Amino acid sequence: MAGQPLHEVGPAGPGGETAALGFTLALAASWAGPAAVFWAGEAAAFAEEGAPYPVGLARYGLALDRLIVVRAKKREEALWAAEQALAAAGAVVICALGARGKPLDLKASRRLLLFAERNGSRCVLLQPANGPSAAWTRWSIAPAPSDAEAGELGPPTFRAELTRNRGGPSGRAFVLDWNAYERDFAERMQEKCEAVFRPQARHA
Amino acid sequence: MTSACWLAIYLPRLATDRLIRSGRGPAEDRPLAIYAKEANGFLLTGVDARASSLGLRLAMSLADARAMQPGLAAVEAEPAEDALALDHIAAWCERFTPIVVVDAPDGLFLDIAGCAHLFGGEEALRDQIARRLLAQGFAVRAALAPTPGAAWALARFAREPSPPLRGRGQGEGGRSGRGANGAVLLYPDRPPPPAPSPQGGGGDLVQSLAPLPIEALRLDEAAASLLNRLGLKTIGQVLRAPRSSFTARAGERAMRRLDQALGRAPEVLTPRRPAPPVFALRRFLEPLFSVETMLIATEALCADVIEKLERRGAGVRRAQLHLFGVDGRDRVIEIGVSRPEREVKPLLRLFREKLGQAADNLDAEFGIEAARLDVVQMERVEGAARSLVAVEAGQASAEKIAAIVDVLSARLGVKRVLRPKLNDMHAPEKAGGWSAALGKQEVITLAPPPDGVMRRPLTVFAQPQPIETLASVPDGPPIRFRWRRVLREVTRAEGPERISGDWLGGAPTRDYYRVEDKQGRRYWLYREGFYGESDEAPRWFVHGLFA
Repeated sequence: MAGQPLHEVGPAGPGGETAALGFTLALAASWAGPAAVFWAGEAAAFAEEGAPYPVGLARYGLALDRLIVVRAKKREEALWAAEQALAAAGAVVICALGARGKPLDLKASRRLLLFAERNGSRCVLLQPANGPSAAWTRWSIAPAPSDAEAGELGPPTFRAELTRNRGGPSGRAFVLDWNAYERDFAERMQEKCEAVFRPQARHA
Repeated sequence: MTSACWLAIYLPRLATDRLIRSGRGPAEDRPLAIYAKEANGFLLTGVDARASSLGLRLAMSLADARAMQPGLAAVEAEPAEDALALDHIAAWCERFTPIVVVDAPDGLFLDIAGCAHLFGGEEALRDQIARRLLAQGFAVRAALAPTPGAAWALARFAREPSPPLRGRGQGEGGRSGRGANGAVLLYPDRPPPPAPSPQGGGGDLVQSLAPLPIEALRLDEAAASLLNRLGLKTIGQVLRAPRSSFTARAGERAMRRLDQALGRAPEVLTPRRPAPPVFALRRFLEPLFSVETMLIATEALCADVIEKLERRGAGVRRAQLHLFGVDGRDRVIEIGVSRPEREVKPLLRLFREKLGQAADNLDAEFGIEAARLDVVQMERVEGAARSLVAVEAGQASAEKIAAIVDVLSARLGVKRVLRPKLNDMHAPEKAGGWSAALGKQEVITLAPPPDGVMRRPLTVFAQPQPIETLASVPDGPPIRFRWRRVLREVTRAEGPERISGDWLGGAPTRDYYRVEDKQGRRYWLYREGFYGESDEAPRWFVHGLFA
């Protein structure tokens, strides 16, 4: 996963939208390091689950001084903005699509892949609808209950299922805590998933 | 003094020409006059060429005029419309120079020092403007001089006209040319050579102004009547009279006008639009129709202004591209960049975006005949030369990010490309916001908490969404609640975090809770007001969502 520039994230079911967004933002924060994060979404992607909240984003591990949000009117504009942003070497670009639309067509996702490969940037495609895509992986995300002391809310937690994986078997699921301070995921179960998620130089 | 060159344009029949041009003139053979109500009745304030040839004059009473010419078509003056027409003409003139001064009610000043060479010289430019205004149906007189005052005087009062120029529109198309036909029209004057120096007096200028009547000095009534009392009829006589005879205030004003006309005193005029500090102008032998050819022209203009800016050690921050259509319209395309730009390519890229977007609205079916690039905002480029920008290996530079922001903002609009902004406010909805990413700005960020627990949500609703609480304990979070028609069972909750009504601008105090439901979904809820505060049960809202 570390070496591949295009990945896809979607909610596992209704009510998983915020978890999917949180997982996407966590991926972006862990990969970005000192580089910029562009978050380009079509209007529908910002409508349902509320507007991005800068205070919360900063606490979540996203450096506000390196974050650019593009609120595009239409899907084509969001895709175009994502392609432009991918021209920034090292940047992480979130391309967020709304829940109502059709899945992105294969050609459009290939373009994102191409732009990312050519420029040494990365892209997370956040799209609720599942369809054929050039992404290396697709992750279906559901929220997971806290593991903290009774009555306390712990760090953000996800149930992440690898529903598509070009590089190996799919179908495995992980319960992951997001450590915003370390900007890293930690797996709840015994299995190690650090190899999957740890940010590494792509060409290393 | 620089060899500043001014072109004064005088539209002696603006009001009647405007009416005839817009199809509101009278039938073919009737004279047209404009009247206005003055202190002593209705007086003529404008006459068309035909009325003039029939002996109707300005300031004649309407009754007398009607007696002389029973067929007279008389229209009441519409000064606001005339002013609008004059402004349109001024806007049209901006294709020749960015510095156009509206000289109400019927004149314009154009500073053509920087651009006459593009049109084959000052006289050629004067003739082109005059000929084209004539073709549009406006009687016009135009004169060149080193000062606005002298140009004004010559345009209105010079006696030795060259043969009137004939516009193409004349005589062939019936009405449109009629107003401009006949008596007046265009008397181009030989431009006096530039004034040698402010003190030198400018012999040639004096010579051309001397025979003109004193009205050519743009005098107010008091000053004019003073000169009349002194028996001075021409500018030459005023020049020969001893200055000591002009001690009265009115006399001083007359002298000041004279000095301005001769370039001995400065005159400050306010252009229709603020003059850009740097601009480049091109006109095209053949009109441009396609966006591609416009872009080629734009590239040349960008190169022109960047060369000029380089000499000042500055770059472009904001620029306006004016595309002047053969149809007389001015299409303006504006771009902005976050950092002073000193390269052609990034600017051209922004223009390509905007032009591509505007292509459908350009209405360039008659073509674009001239283009001007105004640098409306420039900024000094700090530090090293542009080629020495260090780029961290494998990571886009701040310049690159800024360039991307520029492109995105140009195409999608500045309000759609945003940076987060933290505010020092207690009200949660005011503590964070978004502002246009375009432009230089310091963004402050916050560190994540060491325990990794989120106390503020990822998203907030602009309008907190009311929820129905099904079971709750006083002063505690709900046990179950319904939101978006789904019942949610609370398994964990932390709070309350009290946000006082004082911080909320006098709204009821809020108690915030972070709650988790059975599925692990997390909400930022608040209760408005206290239990027992009123008879109504306190209301609950979802304000935001956590991952």
